[in-house]
Amino acid sequence: MSDHTLIGTRMPRVDSRAKVMGKAKYTADLKLPHMLVGKIKRSPYAHARILNIDTSKAEALPGVKAVVTGKDTEGVKWGVFPYTRDQQFIQIEKARYIGDEVAGVAAIDEETALRALDLIEVEYEELPAIFDPMEAMASDTELIHEDFPNNINIHVNIDTGNVEENFEKAYYIREDTFMASEESYFHAEPYAVVARFDHEGCLEVWCPNAGPHMKSKPLSNSFKIPLHKVKIKKIAIGGAFGGRSEICPADYICALLAKKTDKPVKIVFTREENTIATRQGHAMITTHKTGVDREGRVLARETTCYMDGGAYSSTGPIATSVPFLSMEQAYRMESVRYNGYRIYTNKPIRGMIRVHGRGFACGVDTQLDMIADHLGIDPVEIRLKNSRQPGDYTSTKSYVSSCAMDETIHKAVEKSGFKEKWGKLPPFHGIGIGTNSVQTGFPMGIRGGSQSFIKFNEDGEATVMSGVVDNGQGNENMLVQIAAEELGLLPEDIHLVNADTETTSSDPGSYSQVSTFVGGHAVKIAAENCREKLFKVAAKVLKVDPQELAAKNRLIFVRDDPEKSIPIKKVVRISLLNFTSVNAEGGYWPKVDMKREWVKNPYGQMCEAFSFGTTIVEVKVDPDTGQVEVLEATAAQDVGYALNPLILEGQFEGSIAMGGQGGMLTEYHEWMDGRCINPTMLDYKVPLACDMPRINNIIVESIDPKGPYGAKEAGMSIAMSAAQGYSGAVSNAIGVFLDSFPLTPDKILAAIKEKETRQLKRENADKTEVN
Amino acid sequence: MEKIEITLNINDNPYEVMIYPNDTLLDVLRDKLDLTGSKESCGEGVCGSCTVHMDGKPVRACLTLAMEAQGAKIKTVEGLANVDELSNLQQSFIDHGAVQCGFCTPGMLMSADALLRENPNPDEKAIRKALAGNICRCTGYAKIVQAVAHAAQPQDDCCDCKSKE
Repeated sequence: MSDHTLIGTRMPRVDSRAKVMGKAKYTADLKLPHMLVGKIKRSPYAHARILNIDTSKAEALPGVKAVVTGKDTEGVKWGVFPYTRDQQFIQIEKARYIGDEVAGVAAIDEETALRALDLIEVEYEELPAIFDPMEAMASDTELIHEDFPNNINIHVNIDTGNVEENFEKAYYIREDTFMASEESYFHAEPYAVVARFDHEGCLEVWCPNAGPHMKSKPLSNSFKIPLHKVKIKKIAIGGAFGGRSEICPADYICALLAKKTDKPVKIVFTREENTIATRQGHAMITTHKTGVDREGRVLARETTCYMDGGAYSSTGPIATSVPFLSMEQAYRMESVRYNGYRIYTNKPIRGMIRVHGRGFACGVDTQLDMIADHLGIDPVEIRLKNSRQPGDYTSTKSYVSSCAMDETIHKAVEKSGFKEKWGKLPPFHGIGIGTNSVQTGFPMGIRGGSQSFIKFNEDGEATVMSGVVDNGQGNENMLVQIAAEELGLLPEDIHLVNADTETTSSDPGSYSQVSTFVGGHAVKIAAENCREKLFKVAAKVLKVDPQELAAKNRLIFVRDDPEKSIPIKKVVRISLLNFTSVNAEGGYWPKVDMKREWVKNPYGQMCEAFSFGTTIVEVKVDPDTGQVEVLEATAAQDVGYALNPLILEGQFEGSIAMGGQGGMLTEYHEWMDGRCINPTMLDYKVPLACDMPRINNIIVESIDPKGPYGAKEAGMSIAMSAAQGYSGAVSNAIGVFLDSFPLTPDKILAAIKEKETRQLKRENADKTEVN
Repeated sequence: MEKIEITLNINDNPYEVMIYPNDTLLDVLRDKLDLTGSKESCGEGVCGSCTVHMDGKPVRACLTLAMEAQGAKIKTVEGLANVDELSNLQQSFIDHGAVQCGFCTPGMLMSADALLRENPNPDEKAIRKALAGNICRCTGYAKIVQAVAHAAQPQDDCCDCKSKE
């Protein structure tokens, strides 16, 4: 690895110059000639039949150019899977949550559009609404979707090994239930979309996305136009965190308004809309029953999880599975049964979010701490007894090739001083540990692979095309870094064309942590192929075998005699004069089990690589206020190979902020009759600069045999172990295992009080006995 | 409501612009003058993405009426660099990996720039306090704080960044 020029270095990101100058354009910054302002009318009821919509007054308002309702949609329904197509882009018969789309307007300015929304008269018949998933599941008459009995949207059942038999063998069994409320993304950039139809009938769309090809297909289906006529355009994106992976009804409504007016239309969400009408994290109730042997090895586990899915399916089958999968990857368990239920309620739609279920993940780790406590071993020991090892198969039959879970545990323990601190800290001062694992990709069928094209220009510089999108994590830099490394160019010699469906081939998007593993890999292969062409020509000039050549700093040279060299630019020109093009393609398709399916067949090779990590957190709790002061967070993560430590550290630190500091201490939604009462940044508390603890980043490299340069998913998953580390530390500080997340001061104070009352009672009882 | 004409001094350039009295400074910067570097994220003065300077002080452009900005020297993120030559702070943000999605970056830079003008040598606590009104969802703030500290006083041992070369 040492002979790399760029790979493995702390190369600053190529996209940051435009961003620090305020020149990077995000969707809301776009201004097209004759562009109209679009707005969406949303249901004020959580559950209501739409009896009639009268748009005549709105249409008559001067400045209004178009009004659309469900009638204009031909009833098109969207769902990520064929069996989850339950959401219309504009509702025709029923609204199912406060915020559901019922109409759209395009007008000459925002004020007129907003006035027009008020003039649209919708006659509703209010229906009984259900906000509690357990209540929803118990009802067989009040259905949110007619064809889903008991409001069960998805049921994932996984059953491996011999659960009953192993429970019988267990030395100690315990069953605990954990709860967590909804959390939100709070992307810096509120959702926005610009759409227009060009003179050839092509639909052009700009919007934040986690994969442009994931947007173009549903739009092509909905408008019944060929895929090549839907052009999702490249634009800077202000964060995704799992929440911008699928099509948003606003994309469709914006395009419909553009079609109807024959003008570009821009819709920009308010902060409230971004919270309510994009996606949220699932609230969940999880029961883990775990049986262990005398040493603390897990022999059997049964987990049942009820997830509040909100009004529509979204990524339901995936979201119902990933919390379980993260657990089964992180820890060995041969006998495990999982029943995950995603239940419809009349609340906003839930999707994927970074921690993949606080109640689930923190439940697993909290329960391990409880078991360790019972057995008299420490939290590190019980994790090392159960940690995933390389060469294992997960319980759902995925082979794990690279895995340095144990190394991450040891390194985090050493750096944080866990062993010295555990059990020896003063009262209300605690330390906790969590581990994580996440898959690098999952079977995505026809869109599971990525292809890249590279062309050399006559000046010796190269254009690299890739479908990979950058939501902010640094994917564009990753592509440039790889291409420049392999081609022997400088980063500034690479012109990257990416995330544009017109020019780039299909790509899975940044959705399942595969951008580097799949998209980066494709660029690497394309660059290697292109370099081979250059070497053939250069070898002739230098009179050596192509095998003897290397490329660096815009030169091709003989590896053992670097003085013997030729500029790449010259090689390109020689090629062109000899009627030979200098371009190449490369593609990468991960070898996964294509028969694996989330609900019908949740077994088989999930992806080619998994990442693993450990986070240790140290806190102080104020027993009078319940406030938590976080002193330090240490994250050790097996990233395969660190392509760029500078960017990786940013992922580590961001994960600790979102999963730990925010996710475990302050972030949650509050509700009143299905209405989210804290949808704004004023009311929903995300971490600030002054809240964050000192963070220690430890990069662990296991060199994945399949990953480009050995790299795999890197850093996003720390949000999970951070959540667990935070909850473990607070529990340790107050001496009570907490089971409801996030750990807000009221819950912490209540737990302290309950413990004190219990102690007092015990002391009184002891006194009585003595007397 | 009738439109009125006002003159704004932005990044040392005078702009004559027709506005409604209730237009915010952010509306005018973004919609009328195409200075879209200042971002709207919360629209209620919480997130700091729209931070600009008015006579050297950081203000929320989303809570400032354009009319209030008359007569003041306004500086936006577009005015930080000297044409193409980045300020030390901007370069430090790049070198320290302080930019991820970049949506909060303009506001973050304006708050940090105002801090450094008032206190050229802030300690970490002062930096975190000065940035407490700017929300970043990507970075966990660590690299931003490092970037500001380095811009204030380049230190050899802060990290292996480029800007100390």
